[in-house]
Amino acid sequence: MNDMSQVPVTVLTGFLGAGKTTLLNRILTEQHGQKYAVIVNEFGEQGIDNDLVVDADEEVFEMNNGCICCTVRGDLIRILGGLMKRADKLDAIIVETTGLADPAPVAQTFFVDQDVSDRTKLDAIVTVADAVHLSSQLGEHHEAEEQIAFADVVLLNKIDLVDDKAIENVQTRIRKINPYAKIIKTNHCSAPLNEVLGLNAFSLDRVLEVEPDFLESDHDHEHDDDVTSLSFVSETPLDMDKFQTWFGNLLQEKGQDILRSKGILNFEGKDDRYVFQGVHMLMDASPMGAWPTGKDRSSRVVFIGRNLESMNLQEGFEGCKVA
Amino acid sequence: MSDREKFLEKKMSSLYPKETELESRGAHFNLNAPVTCSVTTSHSVAVGFGDGSVRLFFEGDKPRTIDAHNGVVLSMATNGEYILTGGDDGRFLKISQNGDIFEIANFNSRWVDTVAAYKDSMVCSSGSNVYIWSEDQQKAKSLEHPSTVGGLAFDQNGKRLAVSSYGGVTVWERGGRRWTSKRLVWKGSHSRVSFSPDGKYIVTTMQESELHGWRLRDKVDLAMRGYPAKIKSFAWVGDTPHLATSGDHQAICWPFDGKDGPLGREPVCVADCGKQISTFIEPLKGEKAIFVGFNDGTVLLSELDENKNPFVIRNPKGSEISAIAISPKRSHILIGDSEGNILWSPLWKNN
Repeated sequence: MNDMSQVPVTVLTGFLGAGKTTLLNRILTEQHGQKYAVIVNEFGEQGIDNDLVVDADEEVFEMNNGCICCTVRGDLIRILGGLMKRADKLDAIIVETTGLADPAPVAQTFFVDQDVSDRTKLDAIVTVADAVHLSSQLGEHHEAEEQIAFADVVLLNKIDLVDDKAIENVQTRIRKINPYAKIIKTNHCSAPLNEVLGLNAFSLDRVLEVEPDFLESDHDHEHDDDVTSLSFVSETPLDMDKFQTWFGNLLQEKGQDILRSKGILNFEGKDDRYVFQGVHMLMDASPMGAWPTGKDRSSRVVFIGRNLESMNLQEGFEGCKVA
Repeated sequence: MSDREKFLEKKMSSLYPKETELESRGAHFNLNAPVTCSVTTSHSVAVGFGDGSVRLFFEGDKPRTIDAHNGVVLSMATNGEYILTGGDDGRFLKISQNGDIFEIANFNSRWVDTVAAYKDSMVCSSGSNVYIWSEDQQKAKSLEHPSTVGGLAFDQNGKRLAVSSYGGVTVWERGGRRWTSKRLVWKGSHSRVSFSPDGKYIVTTMQESELHGWRLRDKVDLAMRGYPAKIKSFAWVGDTPHLATSGDHQAICWPFDGKDGPLGREPVCVADCGKQISTFIEPLKGEKAIFVGFNDGTVLLSELDENKNPFVIRNPKGSEISAIAISPKRSHILIGDSEGNILWSPLWKNN
């Protein structure tokens, strides 16, 4: 199947009251000339009535492969399969998740289910965050941190209700968890839809565009459960075998704590750039054509997760350099 | 072009003549909506489409179109007389041979994913509930399950109803007005489900590219693995039945005769189609033979014998086969694909 026949799917996360429904209502009612289907959860807020709204159950199940973090959304497999049988083709699909949902099973569904990945592709994870309450939610709920950690776009909503200082603070919190997400500040989720849908953020090409918005590194006694990110760069080419062994073992053993990983790699003796991106233990990797001439061939990997400090990532990555 | 390539091209062109016999004598339709399901009643072949329509194909008469659902026809069953359909418009419908529609239930934005029929029992699932309308009861009996229902199947005499979901199958048994259940457990997501014709086994297709089975007498598990793709279709074939399955470059047929069924035995592999993946299996009743549809639109007919060559019934048209049905008197075949192409053709010469 080529890209043309794959319908892009946007996953919409965010705590209750952050403004997801406002955004969904805009997607369903604005005159954008596009045909969108919206998959909502059964505990979702009321008030959306449209024949392209589908009720889902958020049923997460473990796959039969013995890996406890390989969970997928069974209802998504079923519903996406059904939507693909429609006579009228959809331009995009939006999946709303409950406020407390872990985004990983949704993302993993696109990695592991063959029918889903043949016909649809994960476009981006968009997290709607409430500028007033996000800071306290991050302290209280694992799920809030995970939703920020997984996001490709954070819609920082309700900024009219807080002052500039508070906006600055909440942005710093977001950056600390996930320096790679694009933050869009809005009121009433009024961001242009083309900044939210059709981003192709999960495409492997886009890994190349990862330009983390680095913070001054502050390792001041973070709580063990805090989600943080680390990134490493190497100008020295990497040994492919060594990297595969290290990275494979790392995901196998620490995949539960590594929420997302991405990278672009320069392997000794290879003309192609290699890119990958992963969700927990699952990842997708492929060569992406030759390095541009006259540019530095540097390898870069990034990790977002918990307990990253304990994984000896720096040593592991250094150990992959050719001697 | 190497000699081998030339040879292969020649071989392929002889294997795929411009038009097969069935294609040249059949009627072709393009209905612009994916074919999603089909059943054979005692009067016609009924076909469901992605635009909500149901079409009835009669032996020796014009097809009839029925505007049934406001969305995809997701599932279809028959008791031989009427047709039951479930749609993504949340409606569960009963359709008669002359096209009258009766709405049995409406679940609105919740889809009716699966349906089943046995004599006067009409069954559907929506979410994790199964609803049964029986002849002597006005109201539906509701059966609850731990998660969304993936498949429904009655056994041969309508006494037992198998319901698949995540983590296994619930087998309901009817005793008068009461239904009692037992659970067969296997991790993962189960969708299509079926009793073997002798009622001794239950088989499901899984979200992983494999089948799972249970011998009901002692709940012994049967794992049928090694497929390169998901198994979208299977069917029981012959008196000492084989379970013919899609999901490989050919049809994989597991033996279910003998005391232990397929335990420790090799399947029979027929109707090889090179790189293509089989997506639909339909037995030719009365013969030990199957029609096998592939993801490129090819349909082959093969005996369940690895030494026999298959016949090409339909040439590839580019999109996957999503329905094959044989008419009630076995005079016609209907083939449908995911682009809405239909071939309705006499099976035999001089028909």
